[in-house]
Amino acid sequence: MRLQWPGPPVSFLTHFWRAMEPFLVKGTHPVMEKILNICQRVAVTDSTVLVAGESGTGKELIARFIHAHSRRSSNPFIAVNCGAIPPDLLESEMFGHERGAFTGAVGSRMGLFQLANGGTIFLDEIGEMTAALQVKLLRVLQEREIRPVGADRTIKVDVRVIAASNRDLATEVEKGRFREDLFYRLQVIPITVPPLRERRSDIPILVQHFLDKHNQQRPGQLVRIAEDAMVHLWEYDWPGNVRELENLIERMVILSEDGTIRVDSLPPNIRSFISDKKIPRPTLTDEGIDLNQAVEEFEYRLIDEALRRTKGNKQAAARLLGLKRTTLVAKLRRKGTGSAQGYVI
Amino acid sequence: MNSAAGNNAAQAKGRILVVDDDPNAVEILSRMLGREGYTCVSASSGASGLDALKSELVDVILLDVMMPEMDGLEVCERLRADEKLRRIPVILLTAKDDMETRSRGMALGVSEYLTKPINRRELFTRIDAQLHARAIDRQLSKTAEAVADPSKKSS
Ligand SMILES: Nc1ncnc2c1ncn2[C@@H]1O[C@H](COP(=O)(O)OP(=O)(O)OP(=O)(O)O)[C@@H](O)[C@H]1O
Ligand SMILES: [Mg+2]
Repeated sequence: MRLQWPGPPVSFLTHFWRAMEPFLVKGTHPVMEKILNICQRVAVTDSTVLVAGESGTGKELIARFIHAHSRRSSNPFIAVNCGAIPPDLLESEMFGHERGAFTGAVGSRMGLFQLANGGTIFLDEIGEMTAALQVKLLRVLQEREIRPVGADRTIKVDVRVIAASNRDLATEVEKGRFREDLFYRLQVIPITVPPLRERRSDIPILVQHFLDKHNQQRPGQLVRIAEDAMVHLWEYDWPGNVRELENLIERMVILSEDGTIRVDSLPPNIRSFISDKKIPRPTLTDEGIDLNQAVEEFEYRLIDEALRRTKGNKQAAARLLGLKRTTLVAKLRRKGTGSAQGYVI
Repeated sequence: MNSAAGNNAAQAKGRILVVDDDPNAVEILSRMLGREGYTCVSASSGASGLDALKSELVDVILLDVMMPEMDGLEVCERLRADEKLRRIPVILLTAKDDMETRSRGMALGVSEYLTKPINRRELFTRIDAQLHARAIDRQLSKTAEAVADPSKKSS
């Protein structure tokens, strides 16, 4: 459950129900095995955990997994997206406020820390917190007590803190945008989740997991995936990580007509990613590119591809490229012994 | 994180084992990787590659698929069966662009599959991705130690 602004905090019951859901963190890549092992062992402690990783890698799932395996599991798990709540409201959201603490504060209200008492609070996008609030959070972590906005009393809370960031907090500290003392307080147990493209062996496992999950949620024919479509998903780079993968599988299950996900039914961006990997599309970076070199590179790639497909038959390769054989031979001579710009072997 | 390739060629980035039966390919790859700041070890057959791994610690293996006697996929199978070696990421380099080889590589838990001719930028990106995962893995080992040994925790 994600707290979005605007809107009231989610009810206790919802949190309770959510905490009861099984939180399956799938994956057998050695790094994921290590992460799961750490999570299981850290769950039984109250240590603060800092989860880092690109968007969609499963940071929140990991936080829920830790909570579900802790002695706090029957108490609330509260997720706060620090980047989604306006900065001037975040403090009162987190710590609550007294009546009349600010204009519009007609009554006093409990903060999320108090709602999470006995449970776990998940502070997502912690890097977005203002400097002023960072100081207050540091105090909370040290003293284990909160002070509602406008209050002159403090309230003891028993809350396990798990923070997450998709920015590199160490860099934020270096740049002076994040307090060093708070950083060290949070990263008692640092866990970094690698992007999906760095652990491709988990892709087929996740694809199967999401197929099962979404098949289950839909009556009727079970949708399966063709082997070559699976290979495409395995080779794709998944900039949106596991979230992007799950969304795709869900969509494919819904849209499937004959019960099989095939290469043709994959979205064009995935299909063209695979063909671009073979014949890369040059991209213009901020540093600029050398157009002549890029064109040459492109040309050599296609020539190589044509020769590969025709098993080195120059006549046939030339035909594939719409060239005269002599033109192709001249180009090959210019290319020399495989030393075309950028191509090594 | 992946520092831009070539920033600091003098500083070793990682140890790479190149396995290819084509001496030309080994030569070109080693020189190129060396210039880019990687440390390179090489072998000219699957068997000698596996042999090298008895004494060499490497971060990434660049493995040719089509080799006489023991092909790249068989090397992968043996790596996976070896408790000490199964975690080393493998990047398959191959002129064989068929679905079956890809599919077998996927089933064997290969990290990347690159089709020859290999583009250097692409190759560096893929190697760096695996080195990045290795760096995360090392950091996680430290975390695991801290969890095992409560005296190392500060709160
Ligand atoms: N290893 C995994 N096994 C199963 N499901 C996963 C795994 N990793 C992520 N997911 C699923 O992918 C989706 C995205 O995960 P999650 O919300 O935890 O990512 P996140 O890192 O918090 O992303 P963001 O930084 O964008 O908030 C969720 O539906 C989650 O259940
Ligand atoms: Mg999240």
